[in-house]
Amino acid sequence: MKPTRAISPYLFLAPALAVFGLAVLLPMVLTIGYSFTEWNGFGAMTFVGLDNYATAIGDPTFRDSFIHVVLYIVATLFLEVLVGLGLAGLVHMRPGRLWFRVAIFTPVMLPMVVVAVLWSFVYNPDFGLVNAGLAAVGLEELQRVWLGDTSTALLAVSLVSGWVFAGFYMMIFYAAFRQIPSEAVEAARLDGAGEWALFSRIKVPMIRSVVWVTVLLCVTGGFQGFDLFFVLTNGGPYGATEIPTTYLVKTVFRNGDVGYGSAMAVILTAIVLGVGLVYARIQARGRRVDPA
Amino acid sequence: MLVSAALGLLALFFFFPMIWMVLSSFKTNASIFSTPFAPPTSVDFARWSEAWEVGNIGQYAINSTITTLVSVTAILLLGAGAAFAFSRYRFRGRGAFMALFALGLLLPLQSYFIAQSTLFTQLDITDTRLALIIPYTAMGLPLAVYLLKVYLDALPEELFDAARIDGAGDWRVFRELALPLLRPGLATVAIFSALSAWNEFLLALLYIQDDALKTIPTGLLAFSTRYVTDYSLLFAALSIVTIPMIVIYVVFNRQIVEGITAGSVK
Repeated sequence: MKPTRAISPYLFLAPALAVFGLAVLLPMVLTIGYSFTEWNGFGAMTFVGLDNYATAIGDPTFRDSFIHVVLYIVATLFLEVLVGLGLAGLVHMRPGRLWFRVAIFTPVMLPMVVVAVLWSFVYNPDFGLVNAGLAAVGLEELQRVWLGDTSTALLAVSLVSGWVFAGFYMMIFYAAFRQIPSEAVEAARLDGAGEWALFSRIKVPMIRSVVWVTVLLCVTGGFQGFDLFFVLTNGGPYGATEIPTTYLVKTVFRNGDVGYGSAMAVILTAIVLGVGLVYARIQARGRRVDPA
Repeated sequence: MLVSAALGLLALFFFFPMIWMVLSSFKTNASIFSTPFAPPTSVDFARWSEAWEVGNIGQYAINSTITTLVSVTAILLLGAGAAFAFSRYRFRGRGAFMALFALGLLLPLQSYFIAQSTLFTQLDITDTRLALIIPYTAMGLPLAVYLLKVYLDALPEELFDAARIDGAGDWRVFRELALPLLRPGLATVAIFSALSAWNEFLLALLYIQDDALKTIPTGLLAFSTRYVTDYSLLFAALSIVTIPMIVIYVVFNRQIVEGITAGSVK
């Protein structure tokens, strides 16, 4: 369609571009700029070249924060994506169970802070559900201060993440399962395939591309996780759950080290974008080889 | 039979923390400690109204509502405008501008929030509603533009040509033809954007210190540090925030699931 006035397309675009440019694009460019400086946010800014990046590479807290977040991502791949896939398989066998989907999907709707405060009670050493449950079945010796113990804190946070997002992935997989032509499933059933064989050999392979997208979502989303960690442990106990996002928020907003925090933010961004691009590459290649 | 039993057990496992939360809000702090699993002796909403009034939950809910409504309206209007330009016109710079919004789909919040906060401090808009409305709108736009463009691309060009022959100018074609036809797409975008704005935490934590302007996530956090040991009051506050979301989900479950999954698997 030809615009009645040549300027019209730009007028339609301008408001969106102005807001997006001001709040996202400009700050992104500025953040890259800050990463080459030493600055406390209001005083004088000194150019320091790549010093902040060198510091980041040698910073054991920063390095450990990546180990923690990778462990967290691995845990959530099981607790969110794999559990979600299994749940979707179960629901697909008995469709129409709205109450079930409500029960499992509700946590996705809640603010993470609400989830985190609720689970801080579930993990409460005195009256929390976990310890009380263990006591009820006579397993007092397994009781722990779940979020205050360096050996369990990261797993405890990952479990909450699983509780929230398993339902999210379940809904994505369930929607994908419903797209599968029923002839494919019926044909396999006539050949004598059981429910497990149907699930593992027919249904899951047929939604393979969706599974890969969810893995990407889980990995890139995991690197950006913040809310749960901030409220439940804020990096503690003794740094056992420090992840890049909590560390860089502390660096910038508690220690006032804008330059160093920006460098860490740039590194984190590069990793997230890098994972996404590598992934898109692999996907594109897979599609060329295998048109299905 | 086995599958139904498994479904029932799983649902109970997932739902139990929320049931426990509501039941505990009717109990005294002492009985929460002594008998965590026991049901309350009576259903008394006294602590709920206390949390709503004394604990400021009412004010936080109003703030969240205003912030969410304004952001979502802005996302829909600005997003539809940009999507309309991209979908229906060929103009200089179109490809580059589209690439910018596509970049926005991938960028993590961490890539810009540090400078955004210094920028907002310099503009002196921290501790105002604008400090949340502007970034929530900006963060919602890339997805809105992308999804709405997909919807618009699917409409036949003849429709627009016909409107043009009838003498409709650019603005009228947008307002009287494109916007009404976009309604299903706008609904999807609205649901996704509303949930993100309602639940956003990090920026709200950084930009709003004034308790009278806090939204539910940061307000609830402030509330939980203020009444740190008054467990039944905290359980009441959590219940107040949670139950409306469950009701909304039960009523609009199809649209919500569509909105959230479309928004994520872009």
